[in-house]
Amino acid sequence: MSHSALIVADLYAEVEGKRILKGIDLRVEPGKVSALMGPNGSGKSTLAYTLAGHPKYIVESGTATLDGIDLLALSPDKRARLGLYLSFQYPAAIPGVKVANFIYAARQALRPGDLPPAKFRALLMDRLQVLDMDPSLLGRYVNDGFSGGEKKRLEVLQLAMLAPKYAILDETDSGLDVDALRAVGDSITALRADDEGRQTGFLIITHYPRILEHIRPDVVHIMLDGRIVKTGGADLADRIEREGYDTIREETTSVA
Amino acid sequence: MPSTLASVADSMLSETARTNALAEFRRAPGEHERPGRYWKIDLDGLEIPFEALVQGSVEISFSGELPDGVIACDLATAEREHGELLRQVFGCTEAASRKFGTLARAYLTGGAFIYIPDGVELPHLTVTHRLVGHAGVASTSVLAGNGARGTIVERIEAPAGAFVCQTSEIVTGERAEITSAAIQQLPLDARILASRGARPGRSSRIAFALADLGASLAAGSLDVTIAQPGVESRVSALFFPTSTQHVDLVTRVHHDVGDAVSRTLVKGAAAGAGQARYVGSIRIAAHAQRSDASLRDDTLLLSEHAHIDSIPALEIAANDVKAYHGATVGAIDEDERFYIETRGISRTQAERMIALGFFESVVDCFPTETLREQLREALAAKIG
Ligand SMILES: Nc1ncnc2c1ncn2[C@@H]1O[C@H](COP(=O)(O)OP(=O)(O)O)[C@@H](O)[C@H]1O
Ligand SMILES: [Mg+2]
Repeated sequence: MSHSALIVADLYAEVEGKRILKGIDLRVEPGKVSALMGPNGSGKSTLAYTLAGHPKYIVESGTATLDGIDLLALSPDKRARLGLYLSFQYPAAIPGVKVANFIYAARQALRPGDLPPAKFRALLMDRLQVLDMDPSLLGRYVNDGFSGGEKKRLEVLQLAMLAPKYAILDETDSGLDVDALRAVGDSITALRADDEGRQTGFLIITHYPRILEHIRPDVVHIMLDGRIVKTGGADLADRIEREGYDTIREETTSVA
Repeated sequence: MPSTLASVADSMLSETARTNALAEFRRAPGEHERPGRYWKIDLDGLEIPFEALVQGSVEISFSGELPDGVIACDLATAEREHGELLRQVFGCTEAASRKFGTLARAYLTGGAFIYIPDGVELPHLTVTHRLVGHAGVASTSVLAGNGARGTIVERIEAPAGAFVCQTSEIVTGERAEITSAAIQQLPLDARILASRGARPGRSSRIAFALADLGASLAAGSLDVTIAQPGVESRVSALFFPTSTQHVDLVTRVHHDVGDAVSRTLVKGAAAGAGQARYVGSIRIAAHAQRSDASLRDDTLLLSEHAHIDSIPALEIAANDVKAYHGATVGAIDEDERFYIETRGISRTQAERMIALGFFESVVDCFPTETLREQLREALAAKIG
């Protein structure tokens, strides 16, 4: 009954003058996990960027609302303050800005004054440990000279520290080895067990179903060429694991 | 001996010395005259307040603990009591022959002399030059013995509209380690012409950390002359002209012998209608084999009307060397800003964060946390 959900309806978007999203419908519920799967180039990141408000990604038509509020009218920082989080597929480096200071600034921006520095530090150390990350990372510059795996873990560390209402994880699993993947899974599980993160709704973007063994999805969407062509349960991910996208592509094109 | 001392004294503060230096100044080739694409000011045609300079006087003060044997005094005292030492540094670096260096000698009324004897460590000494009138020369001479170590911070206090001519020289013995830092925060309508020079001894480490934040016009040069092997030179500088400020900075590292390392790192940003020109010169002489030199200069433009000309000048005559030059030029990166914004941080704050971060690798080279914090605050205030 409540409006609590991240809802995307009939969304069309373009980048550099090229239409990429061709009518996306999607719903992410608090506390639930939606998976968005699709081959490279199908438009998954475009959806993530469009929802987060990247200036290059232009909405042509359609809507996106967060708990009933029009996201598309807001600047990226305001979307974040409403409770939206994006874990980037390719996080940017910010030379000269230390990880700990950056996360503190973000937490302050999202929840002004809710944690005194000492408590913030304690929480940070705790979450760092779950992710099996070296504390020396806190003194390094954000993503500057980070390995692919370090970048992904830092995205998850921020997720755990910011405990958003809705989190989009754009291929957070790619480039992680088995242990790192487990650590990321544990971190998300811990967040969801915690008061702060219990109600977080996830949109997990991936083209490998591996991460979904750690975070079982409630619903799985398959995206091909800017459209969601199939929606199902967790078993749909298992099918992709076995068959890849080809059979789904054949089914859907023959229907169309 | 006494007669030698007298003649040394004579050559520094005497009328003859001034006249000679002034003639030299008039003859000295301009090093800032080449206007860049945006750089329209002819520094050599600059109006210099000669009258005010003649009347100018500068008070020197030192703060910091002085270990046994360390000398920190004014130039007149140094001439009288330590002429032999003073003569080993005063006028002994390239700074002395640079145009602004000759101007400084012509109008020298005093200055600071610091001596660190062999094997002694001077933890931290701040030298403050306070202009009494509206124009003056701030001169600092540092002599370090074999194995001497020290950190010296130079400060200049001057009233609104002041004209400052600064000269700073460092000469060291073998295996010395000297860090020299200066944050130029003069009033926004002041002008400063500076020349710095260093001549490190064999296997010595010399580090400069310089920041130009104040003054309507800040023109400066730094010359590090590597004439002994085993030297490690680090030059780290930042500048940030905003509103209508102009900065003109020249750094030169001259590898005159081989087997030495130099690192030059310069970060320049401009906002408002701020303008800057930076010339980064690395020269490696033909016989200076196994030199290892790097020059990195990054430029960040924070407004449409801000301009920076960055001109690398690498002259490498030796063949067995490592030489690196890297540069970036640009405005704030959209993806970087977007990343920060998605964390709930406003666009303005995100840009501020990026700009402050831009300077950080140079800020980090300043010797104390107090200075680094002072610098960060000053930079943040300039970003607005
Ligand atoms: N910034 C961009 N500039 C130009 N084309 C882009 C940009 N971002 C995405 N695209 C194009 O949009 C399509 C979908 O890309 P993307 O959303 O990254 O797919 P996915 O994340 O599913 O691999 C691709 O054809 C890609 O080339
Ligand atoms: Mg992608």
